[in-house]
Amino acid sequence: MEWRKFKKGNWTNTIDVSDFIKLNYTPYCGDASFLRGKTKRTERVFERVQELLIKENENGGVLNVDPNHVSSLLTFGPGYVIEGEDLIVGLQTDEPLKRAVNPFAGYRNAVQACKAYGYEIGENVTNEFKYRTTHNTGVFRVYTDTMKKARHVGILTGLPDAYARGRIIGDYRRIALYGMDYLIEQRQLDKKRIGERDMDEDTIRLLEDIERQLEFMKQLVVMAGQYGCDITRPASNAQEAIQWLYFGYLGAVKEQNGAANSIGRISAFIDIYIQRDIEEGNLDEVSAQELVDDLIIKMRLVRHLRTPEYNELFAGDPVWVTCSLAGMTEDGKPMVTKTCFRFLQTLYNLGPSAEPNITVLWAQDLPEGFKKFCAKVSIDTDSIQYENDDVMRKDFGDDYSIACCVSAMKTGKQMQFFGARCNLAKVLLMTLNGGKDEIYGEQIAPEGEVFAADKPLVYEEVLERFKTYAAWMAKLYVNTMNVIHYMHDRYAYERLMMSLHDVEPERLMAFGISGLSVLADSLSAIKYAKVTPVKDERGLIVDFVTEGEFPKYGNDDDRADEIAQWITEFFYDELCKTKTYRGAKHTLSILTITSNVVYGKKTGSTPDGRKAGEPFAPGANPMHGRDAEGALASLNSVAKLCYDCCQDGISNTFSITPETLGHNEDERVEKLVDVLDGYFVQHAHHLNVNVLNRQKLIDAMNNPALYPSLTIRVSGYAVNFNKLTKDKQLEVISRTFHEKM
Amino acid sequence: MKGYVHSFESLAAVDGLGIRCAVFLSGCPLRCAYCHNPDTWNRGGVETEPELLVKKIARYKPYFKADGGVTFSGGEPLCQAEFIRECALLLENAGINYAIDTSGAVALDENVKAVLENAQMVILDLKFADNESYEKYTGVGIKRTLETLNHLESIGKDTWIRTVVVPGINDSEAEIQRYTELIKGFSCVKRYELLGFHTMGFFKYEKLGVENPFKGKQALEDDVLKRLQEFADNKLNI
Repeated sequence: MEWRKFKKGNWTNTIDVSDFIKLNYTPYCGDASFLRGKTKRTERVFERVQELLIKENENGGVLNVDPNHVSSLLTFGPGYVIEGEDLIVGLQTDEPLKRAVNPFAGYRNAVQACKAYGYEIGENVTNEFKYRTTHNTGVFRVYTDTMKKARHVGILTGLPDAYARGRIIGDYRRIALYGMDYLIEQRQLDKKRIGERDMDEDTIRLLEDIERQLEFMKQLVVMAGQYGCDITRPASNAQEAIQWLYFGYLGAVKEQNGAANSIGRISAFIDIYIQRDIEEGNLDEVSAQELVDDLIIKMRLVRHLRTPEYNELFAGDPVWVTCSLAGMTEDGKPMVTKTCFRFLQTLYNLGPSAEPNITVLWAQDLPEGFKKFCAKVSIDTDSIQYENDDVMRKDFGDDYSIACCVSAMKTGKQMQFFGARCNLAKVLLMTLNGGKDEIYGEQIAPEGEVFAADKPLVYEEVLERFKTYAAWMAKLYVNTMNVIHYMHDRYAYERLMMSLHDVEPERLMAFGISGLSVLADSLSAIKYAKVTPVKDERGLIVDFVTEGEFPKYGNDDDRADEIAQWITEFFYDELCKTKTYRGAKHTLSILTITSNVVYGKKTGSTPDGRKAGEPFAPGANPMHGRDAEGALASLNSVAKLCYDCCQDGISNTFSITPETLGHNEDERVEKLVDVLDGYFVQHAHHLNVNVLNRQKLIDAMNNPALYPSLTIRVSGYAVNFNKLTKDKQLEVISRTFHEKM
Repeated sequence: MKGYVHSFESLAAVDGLGIRCAVFLSGCPLRCAYCHNPDTWNRGGVETEPELLVKKIARYKPYFKADGGVTFSGGEPLCQAEFIRECALLLENAGINYAIDTSGAVALDENVKAVLENAQMVILDLKFADNESYEKYTGVGIKRTLETLNHLESIGKDTWIRTVVVPGINDSEAEIQRYTELIKGFSCVKRYELLGFHTMGFFKYEKLGVENPFKGKQALEDDVLKRLQEFADNKLNI
């Protein structure tokens, strides 16, 4: 009955959501004119949400905390925005925007997070965690002195060792398509089958994992029951499909407070149900949009309790409810449906927003009507990002989702061990200082000679020594990650999310680098100009005198761009030399989130002329103000970085003023589409697009009340501009804006 | 032959159709009082071979699609018409169109005519509506600009006309009407665009040690520009 009118295929015999989608979705090649506005009900619910968001902001960013209940599937009763009015139900706690504590990844962190907002963690929680090992405790039991030092000086930063790793996406669609009874039954069969193997360490761990998954699958059924829904069976219409799927996501964010909790690729899936309801006469466009609007409202309400230090790294209280739209099938059909448009339409019905992190999987062959609507939405809201499906499809097929900002993974078939990032600009300074940190003066890496201060650096000498230290760094980095993820699996395992994967998914270990443009320009300066080190009283190199011109990354100049390419390829190869935990595949990203400001603070002066403490450029962006030949030259430079060795993503943020893009809206839309096509046809990976004026940002910084929902794209996600610290607001304002004189 | 290239801008989306690059050639016969690029007045910059320049432009071909291409601007690009002519041959082979952004204040010699003939379109500055103002604020008369406009009409070349609106000088409807009257009869004119005077180039005067005749002048208000543009559009019906 639930599967009526669906075309049967492999998905009817086994769990295969991708097959179901491809057999049943209706591609849409038209324009946006069919879309509808918000209903009166949506207006009422959204008004309530707006009130709460304003209060949350006035309250210093956190509306309410329950320090006595640990967040999990069943620790809170049902919650509603407005009881009886919500179409899609379910909140993390019993009230909207109320945050619960989640100490599984780190107890101390949870205590500090409570304290930061004026709460004392409950005695019952303290008692419980007295007898429980957290992920954080586990990691620090094993960390070596060198790992601790590398972490302390900030050469490895943002490691998920005190907070949950995130970036795992459950295939929440499975719940709607199959119902929990079938999924539980299948997982029990998996357990039986795997139990036949020899009981080595891998098998034992997997069997324990499965049992933990089963426990939470059953809890999810109970959780849905509290809202009056029976998810043991498949969803029978669009509202149920969205609801079932959302329950899965909700359970995941109740259980886990990982850095990024993305929702996956759900639009074509949902569209199939909406389309069937419309054909059966049970739904019209207004009510279809209303369902999508309500789901989006729920996504905008997801919160985790974080410490202020965490916000330093990841500004703006992001959750990365990344939602991937469009893309193509492997046999060349666009996966654009009307529901892709409906998701984008929420940015008009509900206003611009940082969450969900709407990510368009761009392909050259997407229908023009969709491309234009995306460009229009970018110009109007600055809320969406673009990633190159033509590049990712080759490695990840046609049912991958983006986690966090730029991390692709096959939905339900791959998971990721998230790996923060390594500061490569600092590795260069460490190279020049013979393994010592330039700020603390501590010996971190094996001791070597400090380069001389009285003569210019010789490129070949620097490069040779840099390779040695970068290789040392890569090895330490992989080993540190191995410790972290071993412990995370052990003490903060994502039971529900992993239950919505294949039983033995492929694992990716995603490393990251920061300071790419600083390092590339620094090496270029050493190679093409004259760079003489300056030492301080400790005998350490702390500054440089750089004389003469040198090519800079971001001007489509191969001399500098090839250095940047070489860095990523070299470092990736070095990472691959060290074995990973659970046989994960090494991947690499060039993504800094907003931590480029913090990395800059922790890094001394560099040969490119950047002074100590100054921010890095975000992600793979060229340094601010150094791209002298304009926007496309900058894009061309970034496009040269090779995705094959950066399969965890290459993040680039592009800000342009409307006047530079075109005379009027139609022209701007067309030209932005051309820019996107031209960038992505060169195999570039990612682009954040902001179309706004620097003046508007300055005004928003000074008069935040006038811009309550001003959203801007930063490194791989969007933030509400008001939620950034002054530091970061200034950094964003100082970034290269491409504008016409 | 080599050209004198002042600078290169990879995204000049408003200087013609589609996505465009702009090449700013140095050297200009005019000395406009409101010029925001006084650093392009004299012939200077990098001496560049046509092959090298076209190779650079071709890097942006992925963005051009059907309409986009390169726009030669300046300075006064037509002062280096022979160089552009050489580039044009190479551009044609590369399948890239070019546009010319000119003051029109040059003699219509063989090279200039050839360059205009083969351009995808022309952006022509009509700085003032009368000879007196032209001489006062640009140092040259209106004659050559009008000759260029007549020539563009005779060869049927799509043309956009641009005028900078300066507060206190031509920022009234009465003033703008003088321009629209002048343009009205030309069927080659596809767009008439007003640009607001701004002060972003002032620092260059100081840097160059050149006297800035409009020092102290304010930028044109956006809403004034918008109102005048609407007025002009109504008059011209284009």
